[in-house]
Amino acid sequence: MEKAAADPELRQALRRAAWNARLAIRRALGQAPLAELAREVREAKRRVLENLDHYIEEARRSLERNGARVHLASTGEEALEAIASIVGSGKTVVLSKTMTGEEIRLREHLEKLGNRVYETDLGQLLVQLEGGTPSHIIAPAVHISRRRAARLVAEKLGAPIDAEAEPEEIVAAVREKLRRIFVEADVGVTGANALAADTGSLVMVENEGNIRLVSGLPPVHIALVGVEKIMPTLIEAVKAAIVQAGYAGLYPPTYINIVSGPSSTADIEHHRVRGAHGPRELHVVLLDNGRRRALRDPLLRDALRCVRCGRCLFECPVWSQAGPAWGGRAYKGSMGVAWTAITESEELAGELAYACTQCRACDTACPMEIPLSSIIHELRARHANRLLGRSPQQRS
Amino acid sequence: MRLRELLTLVEEYMLRTGLPVPAPGDVAYRWALERGPRLPRRGRVYLYTGALYQLAPYIDAALEAWRRASRLPGSGLLARAAARLPVQGAVRPRRELVEWSLRVVSAAAGLAAEAVEGLAYLYEDDLYSGVILYDLGLDEAFARHAEKVWARLKSREVEEIVTLDPHTAHVMRDVYPRYVDGYSLTVRSYLEALDEAGWSPPDAGAGERVAVHDPCLYARGLNVVEQPRRLLRRAGYEPVDPPRSRGDTYCCGGPVRAVAPSLSNAIAAERIEELASTRARVIVTMCPICFLNLSRAAAGRGGLELRDIAELLAAARR
Repeated sequence: MEKAAADPELRQALRRAAWNARLAIRRALGQAPLAELAREVREAKRRVLENLDHYIEEARRSLERNGARVHLASTGEEALEAIASIVGSGKTVVLSKTMTGEEIRLREHLEKLGNRVYETDLGQLLVQLEGGTPSHIIAPAVHISRRRAARLVAEKLGAPIDAEAEPEEIVAAVREKLRRIFVEADVGVTGANALAADTGSLVMVENEGNIRLVSGLPPVHIALVGVEKIMPTLIEAVKAAIVQAGYAGLYPPTYINIVSGPSSTADIEHHRVRGAHGPRELHVVLLDNGRRRALRDPLLRDALRCVRCGRCLFECPVWSQAGPAWGGRAYKGSMGVAWTAITESEELAGELAYACTQCRACDTACPMEIPLSSIIHELRARHANRLLGRSPQQRS
Repeated sequence: MRLRELLTLVEEYMLRTGLPVPAPGDVAYRWALERGPRLPRRGRVYLYTGALYQLAPYIDAALEAWRRASRLPGSGLLARAAARLPVQGAVRPRRELVEWSLRVVSAAAGLAAEAVEGLAYLYEDDLYSGVILYDLGLDEAFARHAEKVWARLKSREVEEIVTLDPHTAHVMRDVYPRYVDGYSLTVRSYLEALDEAGWSPPDAGAGERVAVHDPCLYARGLNVVEQPRRLLRRAGYEPVDPPRSRGDTYCCGGPVRAVAPSLSNAIAAERIEELASTRARVIVTMCPICFLNLSRAAAGRGGLELRDIAELLAAARR
């Protein structure tokens, strides 16, 4: 992290990204009653977290009713196994940016099994090409400059562009390369911003248009969803997606995708045939991986309300200097410290917590009112106890 | 290992001296004896400095000693031994910083006394608040120390205190109640007290523009935002805001200096850029940690002067 903070190019890129995002978020907040929507989403999330097992069961039943297959995974390994058993090997797999996938190292696992795996979100693809980790949950490649992006796309994808290529040329080259892969892909894997328990609908928000292709073109669609993403109703799930986009500074979102089951048609003699133009199979992998344990932990419980807008990162002085160096494998910045504790290691999160300035910018930024600075402070205290070999004290 | 050593050292110093870093035993109240004002020993409301301004030069020196020790070859044992050496003497604070802290505390105490009639001072009972223990996550040591501070305040029958810096105000107002049974104190910043008292010097100055750096805890924790601006205006200054200010303020980077110095520098450099973009020559700070970190970042730049708000207000009074 110290090295990252001493890298002027990285700091410049992060600063610019944070500044632009802050302006975009401010514009979004002026454009729509997002604060009111955020309040509703907060309340809905509270309801779900108070009775999570009930909502998991309801979501499972709804999905199965729609013809989707549901896989409950307690750990990252179980999720990887479930997905591997669907995908197999020697396949072409397209991924939309999924932080939950990043959390369990899905891409690496599928590659190891002998599949050709392509990230389709441009930022995430650049991260894949450089062999790094994402900087930000919605802007994974903010640490990569235009020149570096051009070099990566030319060298690793074999696109005919040079290092001086303009962003438009880079985007066009990637589109050209991926278009064919989308059509050929055997399996598309997405995450989801929300999963409606009442209807079994996945809600996925995006701007690039890659999610609709990943979830719509290949014959098999797998959605990997953290159990905390469940919302009571479809309306509330859509609201969660809008809040996520708005507080990420992407308002209005270009696309909101709703997927409630495999595609089908009954146009011939009213006989239902699965697999029309969209996928014939929909698998939903519901991932726990520390989330239900966090629910029982009065400290980490609140962090489960996170909608992954990433606004706390854009406001954070530490993230805006150190970027991806401040975080665990998937989750960076202030929310990343809490989520590293939930999904990766409380010890690592404890170390990361010591780089927080406790400035509270994240607390005021969070539309879900997650007390991030308090969580980080307490993770510090737990880590200090661990380092000094003491048992923790409980405080209100 | 480095973090564990830091935590162990701070705990050890606290246990031995009641202070988080090597510093003279009278560091908290020396200003009162040397500079004044000599406030009465008993009263209804007490000035409680919590010693953070006074410790700032020693924190600065200890971090420097610690940084040097950590760089010694074979860091483990040798560095640890070297880092333990700097009990007073070996940790030499910068003289100008010691002078600065005496000046600022004396000025702030004088202002506080103008705001609160009959304001008393605790002198040798003005113990360090323990805020660094809390910030470092040293909960047990903090709880023990907070009990001690509270016992001392109780023995002086203190019911209301006026504080000088945001960290002490925050820890005494919001954190002590969670750690100390039976704790009950009214806590006000001297800036709040001055503002409530309608403080205004008779001959306000010439309206110099000064860029306000809101400390995070005042701005986002204690809602001390408008008061300093009103006071500056009454004292004849023209407070101007950098792009990120008030509830939206940007950190000085100081709190992570011990653990991540490059990160701390990078944050401070960005903040100084923003403050300089106001084109004000003077930057106003209200917290010793902000002052330390921002002045380090401003050192390389010409034409910028960092001043604590107490000095500016006190100067306007003369």
